[in-house]
Order: sequence, then C-alpha cells, then structure tokens
Amino acid sequence: MLRTPPAKRPKDLTELIDSKLMARLSQLDVASRKVFTGKLKGERRSKKRGESVEFADHRPYVVGDDMRHVDWNLYGRLDMLFIKLFMEEEDLSLHIVLDTSESGDCGQPNKFLFMQRLAASLGYIGLVNLNRVAVTAVGQGEGGINGRLQDLRGRRRVTDLGAFLCSQEPIGVASFNEAARRIALTRRGKGVMVLLSDMFHKEGYEDALRLLVGHGYDLFVIQCLSPQEVDPPLGGDLRLKDVEDADTAEVTISAPLLKRYKANLNAYIDRLHEFCVRRDIIHMTVKTDTPMDELVLDYLRRRGLLR
Amino acid sequence: MSWLTPGLAGIVAAIAVPSLVILYFLKLRRRDLEVSTTLLWKKAIQDLQANAPFQKLRRNILLLLQLLVLGAIIFALAQPVLDNQVVDGARHVILIDRSASMSADDGGEGDEIRLERAKRVAIEQIVESLKTPNVFGTGGDEAMVIAFDSAAEVRVNFTSDKAALIRAIESIEPTDSTSSLNTAFKLAKAFTGTRKFEDQVQENVGFVPTVTATLHVISDGRIPDATRVEDQREDEVLYYAVGEEDTPNVGITSVRAERDFENRSKLAIFVGLQSTATEARGVDVVLTIDGTSRSVRRIEVPPATREEAATEDGAEGSDTSVSIEPGISGVVFNVDRPQAGVATVQLNHTGSTARADALEADDTAYLVVPPSKRLNMVLATAGNLYLADALRALRPANLDVVRPADFQSLLDTGRLAQYDVIVLDGFLPLIQPGPPAEGEEPGEPLPGLPPGRVLALGVVPQPPMGVIDNGEGGAALFVEWERDHPALRLAGLSSIEMSRSRKIEVAKATPVRVIARTNNGPGIFEAADARTRAIVTTFDPLNSDWPFEPGFVLFLGEAANTLASEGDASIAALVKTGETINQRLPEDATDVTMTRPDGSEEDLIAAADGSVVYGPVESTGLYSFSWKGSAGPSDQEIDGRIVRSVAANLASADESLISTEPTLPLAGRIVATENDERAGKMELWPWLLIGALAIIMLEWFVYNRKVHV
Repeated sequence: MLRTPPAKRPKDLTELIDSKLMARLSQLDVASRKVFTGKLKGERRSKKRGESVEFADHRPYVVGDDMRHVDWNLYGRLDMLFIKLFMEEEDLSLHIVLDTSESGDCGQPNKFLFMQRLAASLGYIGLVNLNRVAVTAVGQGEGGINGRLQDLRGRRRVTDLGAFLCSQEPIGVASFNEAARRIALTRRGKGVMVLLSDMFHKEGYEDALRLLVGHGYDLFVIQCLSPQEVDPPLGGDLRLKDVEDADTAEVTISAPLLKRYKANLNAYIDRLHEFCVRRDIIHMTVKTDTPMDELVLDYLRRRGLLR
Repeated sequence: MSWLTPGLAGIVAAIAVPSLVILYFLKLRRRDLEVSTTLLWKKAIQDLQANAPFQKLRRNILLLLQLLVLGAIIFALAQPVLDNQVVDGARHVILIDRSASMSADDGGEGDEIRLERAKRVAIEQIVESLKTPNVFGTGGDEAMVIAFDSAAEVRVNFTSDKAALIRAIESIEPTDSTSSLNTAFKLAKAFTGTRKFEDQVQENVGFVPTVTATLHVISDGRIPDATRVEDQREDEVLYYAVGEEDTPNVGITSVRAERDFENRSKLAIFVGLQSTATEARGVDVVLTIDGTSRSVRRIEVPPATREEAATEDGAEGSDTSVSIEPGISGVVFNVDRPQAGVATVQLNHTGSTARADALEADDTAYLVVPPSKRLNMVLATAGNLYLADALRALRPANLDVVRPADFQSLLDTGRLAQYDVIVLDGFLPLIQPGPPAEGEEPGEPLPGLPPGRVLALGVVPQPPMGVIDNGEGGAALFVEWERDHPALRLAGLSSIEMSRSRKIEVAKATPVRVIARTNNGPGIFEAADARTRAIVTTFDPLNSDWPFEPGFVLFLGEAANTLASEGDASIAALVKTGETINQRLPEDATDVTMTRPDGSEEDLIAAADGSVVYGPVESTGLYSFSWKGSAGPSDQEIDGRIVRSVAANLASADESLISTEPTLPLAGRIVATENDERAGKMELWPWLLIGALAIIMLEWFVYNRKVHV
C-alpha cells in the first residue's frame, strides 16, 4: 500500500527470474482456450490442415493438388490417388500488457517488481515455446504507451525481453483507456493477451477492458495487490496522499473505517470479476507475496493460462 | 457527597468540553503517508460520514481519556466533599463559651487554655467545613459567632465570609465571668428567628420540623443554667466539649467579711475553698490587707469524689455518667482592723506535688472592708421601752429616743441629718412634698418616710415611697422571704406568727422591693430613692411573737447596719464577675471616673439620683470609682477626689468546678458531646487530580502504542 521502492531495480532478466525457475518454466507453454491462426508455422496445431508431420486424414486427389502430398503407398495398394492431410502447426501470439503507473511502486513486496517478474516469466515461456511475444508498457508516455516490444520469437530474444522489462520505471499516471485503444488498434492476429495491473484506475477500467477483449484475443487480467492493500497496517490520524495524482484523504484510522475499507476493496474486486466473467475474460487477483514459482507453475496452470 | 462550588465547575465544563471536542474535529497533526491509491479510502470515509457525523469520535480512546481527565479536573473544581458531618443546614450559630472556667489550662497540647482549643474546634470543625459560596456569591452556608459568659455578645452576624468568621473567633478573649447559656440561646434565637408552627405543617404529611439553624455550643459544659435553656426543638444543637474531665483545680468559691457584733473593730473574713483534684491538696491561703500580708493558713482541701452512675438511657447499655463531687473546705481569718481597707485572699499552690492548678481566676479574691463605725441613732416612738432596749443592745454610739412631735420638729429644723439611722415605731412624720410644678399650688404635707436611713416598724407609707394599704388582714404567716438579704439572714422569720396584719399591695413603678411576703402580701419591704433608704415592716412587731425571738434583735441590728453601710450589712460593694456594678454616689458627684483592675479608666455619667452602673464585670479585681463632690460614709478622699472601691470576684462553685461535662443537659433534651474525631468535610478534589494524572499517564501509554503500530 505505502510507497516502498525496492532497494535495487533489476538490471536484466536473470535478476527477474533465477535460473532454477527458468529451467522449470521451460517445461510450460502458454495455453489458449482457442486454437489461433498464426502467420508463421509454429508449434501450435491449427484448424488448417497443413504441413506438419502429424497425420490428420486422407482425401481424394483433385486436380491441382500438390503431387508431393500424394500417398504413394496407398496408391500402390489401392491404385487410387489420395492426398495425405497433416495437422497444420502455427505460432501463438502472446501479448503482455504491463501497467507502469506509479501506484505499482508500492507495497511490500513491491508490486511493480512483482509484475516485472511475472511478465518476464510469461514472456520467457512464450519465447521458449516459439510463440510470438509482444510486450506493451502502459504508462505516462504518448498515448498512454511507455514502450512496446513486438514480434519476439524464439529463445534468442529472451535477453531483449529482459532488457525491455528492466528498462521500465513506475512513474506517473497511466492513461489506461487511451493505451487500451492504441493496443486494440495496433495488435495483429489472434492470441493470448495478459494484462498485469493493480486495476486501480480512477477513470475506470470498463472501457479499456471492452477494447482489449475480443478480436481474437483471449484476455487474462491478473490483478496484483500487495498484502498491505488487502489488510492495511495503519493507525492514528493520517493524511493519505495518492502517489499518482497527489490527491489526499484525511483519515482517522478506526476499526469501523478499516472494516469499511476492506468491504470496499472486496466489492471493487468482485465488481471487476463479474465484469470480466460476463465478457469471457479470465480475471485473477494475486497477492504480491505469492511465490513466483508457485504462482506460475501451479496457480496459472490451474487457471488455464499455462499448461 | 455535596459540592462546594458546582457553579464554577459548570461554567468551566461548558467551555472546556466543547472546546476539547472541537479541537478533536479540527485535528491536531496528521501523519502524511503516500499510498497507491486513495480511491477506496475516500469511499470508505464517505460511507462512514454519511451515516455517523460523530464517527470520528467513536471509539477514539485518546479523546475518551482526555475527556476523562477534563472531567476529573472539572469535578475537582466543583470541590466535592464527602459529608461525614451534619453541617448541612444553611445557617450556623457558633456559641463559644468564654467564661472563667474556659481559661483553665488542661495541660498538654502546647499549654493552650480551653478557650484557645474552643477557637480551634470552631475554626477547624465548623468554619472550615462550611459550604463556600459559588462564584456568584450565593448558595454558601452562613454562620454567626456569639461569645458568651454571663452575657452574650454577637462577634459577627450571619456571613459566609470565612475570613471574617475566623477573625471574629480569634478575637474572643477570656473573661472571669460565670457562664449563662440561656442568654446566649435567646440572643441566637433573636437572630435566627423562629418558624411558625403552621409554616412547618405540610399538606398530607403533617408536622415537619424545619431546621432554622444549627447551634454549635463549644464549651466545657460548666453552665449552671443549661437546664433552663429552652431551645427550639427543630433547631439542631451540637455540643463540642473542650477540656478534660479530671483537670485539677483548687479555687476560692466564696469570700465574705463581717465585723464582730460585739466588737466592731474585729473583722472576720470567711473564705470557701473547693478542689477538683483527685487527691487531697494542701494550699496556703494568704490574707493581705492594703498590701500588707496579715496571715497565712495552710489548708488541706479534701479530694473530689467521682461517682459513676448508670445513665437513664437503658438502650445504651453500659454507659455511665460520672458526676464529680468536689472537695470542700474553708478558712476564717480573724483580724483586728477598725479602719477601712482592701483585703486580698490569695491561694498559694506551692508545695503541691502534681500539676498545680488549672484556673487562675479563682485563686484570688478581693474584699473592700468599710471602717468600723458606731451608729448615731434616733428612735421616734410614742412609748415602747423594750424597743429602745433592744436598740441599745446594738451598742450604738448614741441613741436618742424622741416622741413623734419632737421628731417632727427635728425633721422640720433639718437636724435629722446628724443621725445615721432613724427608727420609726408606728409613726410617720409629715413630709413636705417636692417643689410644685409651675402654675400649681404647693401640696399639703403628707405622712411619709423622712430623708435618711429609716427603719420603720408597723407603718404603711403610701406610694411612691410606699405601698397600697387594703385594710386589716387578720392573722398571717411569712410565706417567703429573701434569705440572703443582709437584714433577714438572722431574722428567723419562719416561726413568726402575726395576730394582725395589713393587706398590702405593691403599686407599679415604685422603688419598692419586697423582701419578705406574708399570706396577706408584703410584710417587709425596702424602698430607696435619692434621699431616703428605708426598710419597712408593714405589721407591728408587737402584734406578733417576733419580739420574743432572738431573731428580732438580730433583725434590728442587721437592718440598722445595712442601712448605715450604704449597701451590704457589714461589707461594702462586693460583686461577682458577670454581674453589674450598681453604685449610688452622692447626688453632687461630678466627673465620675472608673478605674478597672488592669488600670484602664473609663468616664461614667451618674444618673440624676447619683447612681452609676457599669457592667457586666469581666475580670476579677478592684474597680474604683472616683469623683468630685461629697463623700459617702465609707468613701475615702484621695488627692481631692472621693474614691470608692468595689471588689469583683469569680466566687462561683460552678466555674471553679472545671471538669468538663460530656453532655449538655438542656431543658428539653440532653445534647451529647460531638466526637473529637468527627473531622470536617473530606475534600475530594486532591483525589480527582491524582486520578486525572493517572489517566494522563495511561493516555500517554495508549498514544505511544497507537503511534508505533
């Protein structure tokens, strides 16, 4: 809850994900509830019958078919021309949207650092599995975009991913709606989009989520909250100052007030969750004190983001 | 519990409590904290404020504690007191005994006399516990201070000013007088007023006595007339006994001097002594006349006896009351002293083992002894030889026996002034009335008492210097008489029977004092005005068996001496402290001055008949009157001024019996002493302040815990 910048910002990917976790992440892959068409042949099964090694079916030869796909063994036995059909394999687009607003620089453990590590983990998984990975940092930059990384593919681009994530700083106010519009306009194809944010947007999150969902993207909202936000350890007479817009609230912490705060937080989360469920968005709330391996290896698999 | 200054506390509370709450709203210092978002907080505050404006204050333990501290201080300002005494009436009368016995030193506690202790009791137990008025000067208890001995004096009227009360109490000085509570109560009643019976009857309830005042009597209980005090039942009477029950005191309770009947130059001085010591006491009694020590007697005074008697109140069980019977003794000095003088009798306690004596005022007695004088008498009689013989037995210097006609010529020629005493036997001369008023004819001469000292037997003079004769009364007996009157002390009237008497009635507003009364009215009376002083028997002694009794001659002698010596039979001017000195000076006395025993002087103005009054006498000793003019028979002339001395003595068995009475028996009830431990009201404000301090410390602890969450 309180602004607590980490003692040291991570410099590269190895500081975000340790090697042990990295090794375990290699076994995972990004899951999609839909099978998407990709631009490149990837490791993903497509509805299209394609050129993978996995046999799918036969069909009678028609004029114009590629002669290389004729099943000559079958012709020898049946003296009829059949075309072998294979499963088409294609790559998956994984788009990670990272909230870099200043509110992330709070909490113990630090929310932004947590989101950086989660983004790195997911990106790593995507790259290792030859998915097309894109990362967009939503922040105070032009159009609400601080920076973006697109069309990363393959293990070689892991360092690029790490460098990009480490270059981000939690500063200013994120214009979330503006950023969502931009992302929706500029993204290509279909795939999985993961939004990492605390979802505390004073302008509201509804419009942004409506823009991001659909158009072939399977949207996951991972709401990261620090333990202090869930259970504020406050007391006394306080002047609370919003780190983003310097808005203040004078409070005298009392048991009824804390109770009311918690009720409001739960209501906020529930409303967001309901909003997501109605639009086929997967919403999850994660506390930043959750261990990364447990989160990635267990929780996200159970929630269907990874497999 | 009651509050001494609730108004002040109310005002402070009305200001301070809202101020504290407002300060809490304004809020002192808030810690600045940066949080990820204020979104949820603002909403939470709005939610709370929407349904509870005082939500901020709810469960705010710091405010609660501060309110507690404030409350404690405010309650302290109200000066709460626990009433462990009955001082709750709005009006209090503090009656302080300043009589002679209150000068007794009981020993212990810094050698203060009883009066000092009484003052302390009055200030500490009564004045200090009075309810102080609030800031508006209302609602406080009022008290008045009355100092009393034989008279009562208001030292300060009802006031709630404690300083004034304390000043008044401190200014009370001891006197050598006897004590009279009746006077004091009457005075107090005059100030407190009485409530009518109908004012105290409430509808459907009945008679509800209303306390008009609380009377605090501070005394040693040696008050002879206490049982005659009729206090109002609805008044609360509290009695504070000061002094000890067993304080020893040896004192002179009576003193008297008489000249021998046969030999007038012989003087007998009788001294009565009394001791309250529990052991026999030897005292030296020293007689000094005119500053010269004449005689010393060693007297052993027997011890006082204590009698314990169970109280009548059986419910109290084993309670007993102790009555002390003092040891009585006496001594008679016989000295040869034909001339006048001032005799002083002094008790000397040297040689006594234990604590000598608690009271000084009764250790010395004074007597003014007139010179011995043989009388020059005239007897006017129609023929009564045996009366002349009886008078001769008094050994007068000269006795002229004249017939009534000769007496009338003595009177008319003014030669009557040479006689000290005139005896009229059944005969009244014709007296020229006083100068007529303007425009009136001079009155006819009437039978009456001649000027001078007159002993008239068997006559009834008419008013004003006489009584109303209602005719023959037949046989009669004496039914009452003044046994202490100098002329009647030895007269033996109890056995006298009269065969004939007169029905006599005393006219109003005449200078007539009846000293012996028969069943038909006054038998013997005294009458005195500026020129005449007379003792008159309204019956003829020859019509009774009196002449055959020795008492008749003694009556003649004492009456003649009484008349001749201005006042008392053989001794001039002797008063007790607390009484009034009433002296008749010669009519031409001017520039009258009285000198008190302590040497201070006071100018007095003599009345038309030459009488001067001073009193009440507060201390023992000699009071000297001096004037310019002619001298009386026993007056001395010093430096061109005539001097007459009057001795004032305590001479009171009640005052000398100084053991403190634990109860005060009034006419209608017995008032028990107030317990000494019954302190004043217990002030609670220090405890409240200590409580406030403790709460502040608790608050500090709570605050620290809260800050370091």
